[in-house]
Amino acid sequence: MMKPPTPLVLIIDDESSIRDGCRQALEKSGYAVLDAGEGDEGIKIARDAKPDIALIDLKMPGISGMEIIEILSRDVPDTVLVMITGYATIVSAVEAIQKGTYDYLPKPFSPDQLRAVVRRAVEHRNLKIETRRLREEKERMEKSFITFVSHEMRSPLVVIRQYIEALKAVAGDRLDRDMTEIIERCGARIRSLETLVEHWLDISRIGEGSFAWKKEPLNLLQLIGRSTEEMAPVCKEKGIRLKTDLPDQLPEILGDQESLLRVFTNIIGNATKYTPENGGITLAASSDDYYVTVCISDTGTGIPADKLPFIFEPFYRVRGKEERQRGSGLGLTFCKRIMELHGGEISVASTEGQGSTFLLKFLPHMRTEQGMGRTSVDPATPFRPF
Amino acid sequence: MTAKKRILLIDDDKDFLFATKLILEKGGYEVFLAEDGKTGVEMWKSVAPDLAIIDMMMETWGEGFSVLSKIRATDTGKDTPLFMLSAVDLQGPYNSFEPPPEFPRVNAVLQKPVRAEDLLRYIAQELGGKKMS
Repeated sequence: MMKPPTPLVLIIDDESSIRDGCRQALEKSGYAVLDAGEGDEGIKIARDAKPDIALIDLKMPGISGMEIIEILSRDVPDTVLVMITGYATIVSAVEAIQKGTYDYLPKPFSPDQLRAVVRRAVEHRNLKIETRRLREEKERMEKSFITFVSHEMRSPLVVIRQYIEALKAVAGDRLDRDMTEIIERCGARIRSLETLVEHWLDISRIGEGSFAWKKEPLNLLQLIGRSTEEMAPVCKEKGIRLKTDLPDQLPEILGDQESLLRVFTNIIGNATKYTPENGGITLAASSDDYYVTVCISDTGTGIPADKLPFIFEPFYRVRGKEERQRGSGLGLTFCKRIMELHGGEISVASTEGQGSTFLLKFLPHMRTEQGMGRTSVDPATPFRPF
Repeated sequence: MTAKKRILLIDDDKDFLFATKLILEKGGYEVFLAEDGKTGVEMWKSVAPDLAIIDMMMETWGEGFSVLSKIRATDTGKDTPLFMLSAVDLQGPYNSFEPPPEFPRVNAVLQKPVRAEDLLRYIAQELGGKKMS
């Protein structure tokens, strides 16, 4: 690793003895030091030199330390600010910290105290910068990952499926049953890999903020209707009763029709995998002052209590390897992310041997008098009645 | 026996070209391949095909659109059926390409991969339903 450059410390204090003392103590410890005897000059130096640390005397003639702190935390946000004060009251300390100071140094202080505070401030700055660098790196990687996956991973899969189509077209009539089955199975595996890639892309896009979704007033009853219609054939084939238990009216919610439809069909689809023949899946809905709730329950095998906390994690499989071929392993992760995107919640309750219940909670959409879309509760601070 | 109908296929993926060519030849068409938009437009003029299939996304995003406009602007390109190929997932699952209203006419937008029977059916519809063998 590269040796870090010498940290640069700026001292703004009207007392020359303090400036000189600080300079000596810090230079001896290997810091580079700049100083200013009054606020305006200090601000100018800080803007030009962008020091790592600025020590600011709170009580000076002219522009006050508190004002300097305010200006510097705005203009040179990477500089860590430490205030020096002979009047270290709680009130002024709190105010300074609220304005962006990291620490304070009460007068009188010893060179050791000064060095300790400055060392801590330098560490704080390095961590701050490292954190930001890592966050930017992560965001960049997420973005390029999405581009990579969508272009570089999907196109070979598309081509392989096109070759399979070509093979069937060219040689279909010459292939015996086994060969045809091999080709069909290859096609099926390629399709499930494509699905996996698409699900993963969706989840990445939600995380990265580029998932395309429309926010419009929705009637969940209609959406439940569409999802049961879509899933009815699968249930019928498996001998599972698909029922609804719905009120006549539900408050509208704000959301994306297509992705929520996928949430519902995903959960119903999951339920069909774990519900035996003659079992049932029920969709119920209700509302109160805070939430519109959809409840999807099944009479299936249920989920062991120790596995419940993990079922929304990517690729988590309740029954391990034996269910390897059952979908992408991202279905419930997708559901959770979509619900979060809507400011809603998803939770699950289950008793082994009796079945599972997925609870989807949405914030109702309140129309204001102007007819503008607004939710009654700010999604950033969801109100939790229990 | 009538001459085989000619189809021009423009796509920058060699494998996709080859696979699709096999399907089209099985359907009884004569197939011409172009690996980029520029070659595609040139071949359009020299070959004068009965139909062209253009990939939307080649060297650059939307290259296919400009190829389509150039072909439509030629004398022979006004009424010849033109298909566009699109990979479903460009910006997200719900944003597959739909040509804007002011855009030159596209006879069909096909999603990649395209099923052999669908491809041949769409082409047969456009070329008068005459199935050749």
